[in-house]
Parts: sequence; structure tokens; C-alpha cells
Amino acid sequence: MVNVLKGVLVECDPAMKQFLLYLNETSALGKKFIIQDLGDTHVFILAEVVHILQERVGELMDQNSFPITQK
Amino acid sequence: NQNAPSGCLNHLQCKNLHEYLKELSPEILDRLYNHPATCLAVYRELPPLAKNYVMRMLFLDQPLPQAAVALWVKKDSEKDHDQCVSVLSGLRLWHSQQLQGGLQGNILNPVFKDNLRIALLGGGKSWADQGDSLGPDRHARDVESLDKYALERWEVVLHFMVGCPSAAVSQDLSQLLIQAGLMRTEAGDAPCITSAGFQFLLLDTASQLWYFTLQYLNTAQTRGMDLVEILSFLFQLSFSTLGRDYSVEGMSESLLTFLQHLREFGLVFQRKRKSRRYYPTRLAITLSAGVSANSSSTAMGAAPGTGDSGFIVVETNYRLYAYTNSELQIALVALFSECLYRFPNVVVAQVTRESVQQAIANGITAQQPFGTKPTPTYSLCVSQNPVLPPTITDQIRLWELERDRLQFSEGVLYNQFLSQADFEVLRDRAQGLGCLVWQNVAHRVIVVSPQGHGEVKRFWKRQKSHT
Repeated sequence: MVNVLKGVLVECDPAMKQFLLYLNETSALGKKFIIQDLGDTHVFILAEVVHILQERVGELMDQNSFPITQK
Repeated sequence: NQNAPSGCLNHLQCKNLHEYLKELSPEILDRLYNHPATCLAVYRELPPLAKNYVMRMLFLDQPLPQAAVALWVKKDSEKDHDQCVSVLSGLRLWHSQQLQGGLQGNILNPVFKDNLRIALLGGGKSWADQGDSLGPDRHARDVESLDKYALERWEVVLHFMVGCPSAAVSQDLSQLLIQAGLMRTEAGDAPCITSAGFQFLLLDTASQLWYFTLQYLNTAQTRGMDLVEILSFLFQLSFSTLGRDYSVEGMSESLLTFLQHLREFGLVFQRKRKSRRYYPTRLAITLSAGVSANSSSTAMGAAPGTGDSGFIVVETNYRLYAYTNSELQIALVALFSECLYRFPNVVVAQVTRESVQQAIANGITAQQPFGTKPTPTYSLCVSQNPVLPPTITDQIRLWELERDRLQFSEGVLYNQFLSQADFEVLRDRAQGLGCLVWQNVAHRVIVVSPQGHGEVKRFWKRQKSHT
């Protein structure tokens, strides 16, 4: 019998994927959202966390950027 | 933090007159050709060979065999001939008719023919009422002040697009901008500019006007205005003399409304709303020349509001120096950078991650601020290809890509197939339907798009019931 699951396919680079796995482990979004790990660059996740996920990624990017200029 | 639709760089299509006319329905076209001004305007825009053909057939009352027409060009200019034929047929300027001998012939559209004759030889109704009947105007305006007025009004529209608080336009106009896709409005907020709007701002004045007019014409029907009337009036305007006043006698209600709108764009000048006379400005006269005219556009486009053209220098430390006085240009620069200092003739700004990401969130893509900008407003230093340090362009691109690290696609996952054969059958079916999003053969997993899921499920059930 074939297993059928509804969700969202995420494509990203390996580094980002590790970040997603980390968020999943720590349930940082409130629950585990990865339904299936599909390889180095793809993950299958729940549909409802897409928005929050994008925000979290944005925050990560902000943390890693340093203003190079002084005002 | 909303996700702007990245990657939808819809290039602003600026149709010229002919392309626009081709899209109109035949009945409207025929009604349009009833006016000599329209015929002359359309004739003006034809390629030279087509003009030649039209002239030769203008005074013929019988159709001409197609073979004879084909003889008018030399053997190696067949391509030009074919192009000509398609242009003339597309605009419904001629159609084929069967001759007595059974041959196919071409004859000019009779309505067009008559009106072009009138346009060239005179006669018929006078196109526009000269203002003579009203006596000399005590408040006459000369050409210079008309030009200034036109520029001012058009600048207000552009300023409004960029979001200057001092620019205020009527409700109608902002509605029109939103409908044209140049601005968009969130619920209750003031309208803000879109990606297409930004591209629009970088065009030269003639193209901007023409694009805007086309948008206006498209929405004319929904306002209950007669497209033919408006178009004919526009063409009439384009043949008027600069500096001469015309009276509003005999204009219908919808034409008067149209005149008020034109007044707002700066295409005509009227001293008061109820004035009996109006002056067309240079903008109106160059209008129907549309996108192709270059010589007149430099007169207009060279100095919106300044009097000289500015230029921009971008340094490798992300600093930007804009040597300009024009509010509009400064506002444009401020869209994607943070202004630091402002002097009488320079604005110093910084391109930062926040400002670029803000601009991208508003729909401007990384290409646009620094793409090829042959606008006359930005002169030599940035003329054809701006001399930009590659560090800056790369960094802007990277900042844009930062938002795209994750790509989401909705789908339905199928896994745990019992056999390789099962997997392949279903996979091929999904591929055949075009809804296969991703597959992993080693683990026997496929992801199908939600639209295709229903069909694939049905297919699978049928398979199961067979085996």
C-alpha cells in the first residue's frame, strides 16, 4: 500500500537544510514540522509552518550580517 | 514581513500606436477611421513602403490585382513586401476582394480612403474649433509657460508615484495608476509603487505618456466613455498648433470629462474648469508620435524640473553621490538607499542591506536601479552602462538572493511503494500528466503537485483494482 502525505516540499542548500533539522529537533516552531527528510537538498514539511519558517530564516540571516558602515 | 513575489519581473510592455490599434475590434477600427485626423495619424506611422502603397491606391476606385501589387517591388525585396502586406491587413487598411477575372485583388478600406483624401486635400468638417469665435483671450498663455505647466503637472504625477507627500492627485488619477499596475494599495494605506511602476519611472517622458494613455484608453470603456470619441479627440489634439487656443464648443459630456483628465496630466491647459477655451501643450502634440519619436522627447525629457541633467557616482564603500536637484530623482534614489546628507546640489546616500531589502520587498528587483538606463536624465557618468563597481552589483544581488534560500512548493508525497514496478508506473503517469514535482528513484519517493494529485489518485485506484 502506498503512503500518501500532504505537505510542502522545500528545496534549499545543504547548510540551510541543517538549520531546518535543527529547528525541528528543538521544536523551535512549537512542534516538529518535518514530515520526511528527502535527501541533501529536499525536505517535506507541514504546510502551516511555511510563514514562520521564512521569518526564522530571515532572523538567522539578520543575525549573521554585520553593518559594514558607520553612520 | 511580507514575501514579495520575487522573480516576477514583468517587463513593461510599451506598445506603439499600431500595435494598440491592431488589438481593437474591427467595428471600432472602422468607426475610428471615420475621422480624417485618425487616418492621417495612422498613415504617418506606416513604414515607408506601406505609405507608398497606400498613396498609389488612394485614388483608385477598383481593386488592384495582387499580382500587380507584387510587381511594385524588386525580387529581392520580397520580405519588405510581405511585411507591408501584413501591416496593412492588420490595421484593416485594405482587404482582398475578388476581381471579375477571378483573381484576388486588393482594395483600400473605403472609409479610410475617403477620410485620408479629406485629410490630404481638405474639405469635410473642420477638425477643431478655433478659438476665434470667442475673441482674443485676455489671459493668453505663450508656448514657454505652456511647456512649464505641462512639465509641472506631469512631475506631480511622477512625484505622487514615488511617494512624495507634497504631491497630491485626484482620486481618479490614483485609481487609474492602481489599475494600470503601476502602484498598488494595501487596504486603507496610501498607494505605493510597484516593480512595474519603477520601470515606468525610468522611461523617458514620451514613452511614459504613451503608456499611461494606453492604460487610460483601456479603462475608458468601464467608465462609460466612448473609445472612438476619445481616440479621435486625441488625434485631433496631436495635429493642433502649439500656442493656439481652441474652444470647447460642441464637445460631449464624456469628452469634457476626458478634457479634465488631460488637464490633470498636463496635456492641455485650461485656466479654470469652466473655461471655454483650452490650449494643447507640447506633451499632447507629441503624444501620438508615441514611442518612436526621439527628437522631441529630448526637449521634454532632458530636464524634469531641473534645467540640467544630474548624474550618479557609486563608490566601492557603498556610498552613492547623486548630483541633482530634482525632487523626483532624489526620491528615486531614496527608494533603494538611505540618504545621509543633502546639499544644494548633491545628495549623499548609502546603499545598505536594509534599504535594498526594503526596496526588494516593495517589488523592485536588483536589476532595476542599476540596469541599463538610457534615460536622458542621467547623463554621462551613468549613460549607457553605469560604471558600477562589481562589488556593489554582486552584493545587491546577494542581498536579493538571501530572501530566496528556501523554495517552497506545495505537494503530495507518495512513498513506501511495494515494488519498483509500482513506483515506476505511478511515476510515469505523473510525469505524463506534467505534475511530477520531484522524485527519488533510490528510495522510491515521488512528490506530485496538488492539482495533479486527484488524477494520480484515481489512476492508482484503477491500477489497484486491476492487479
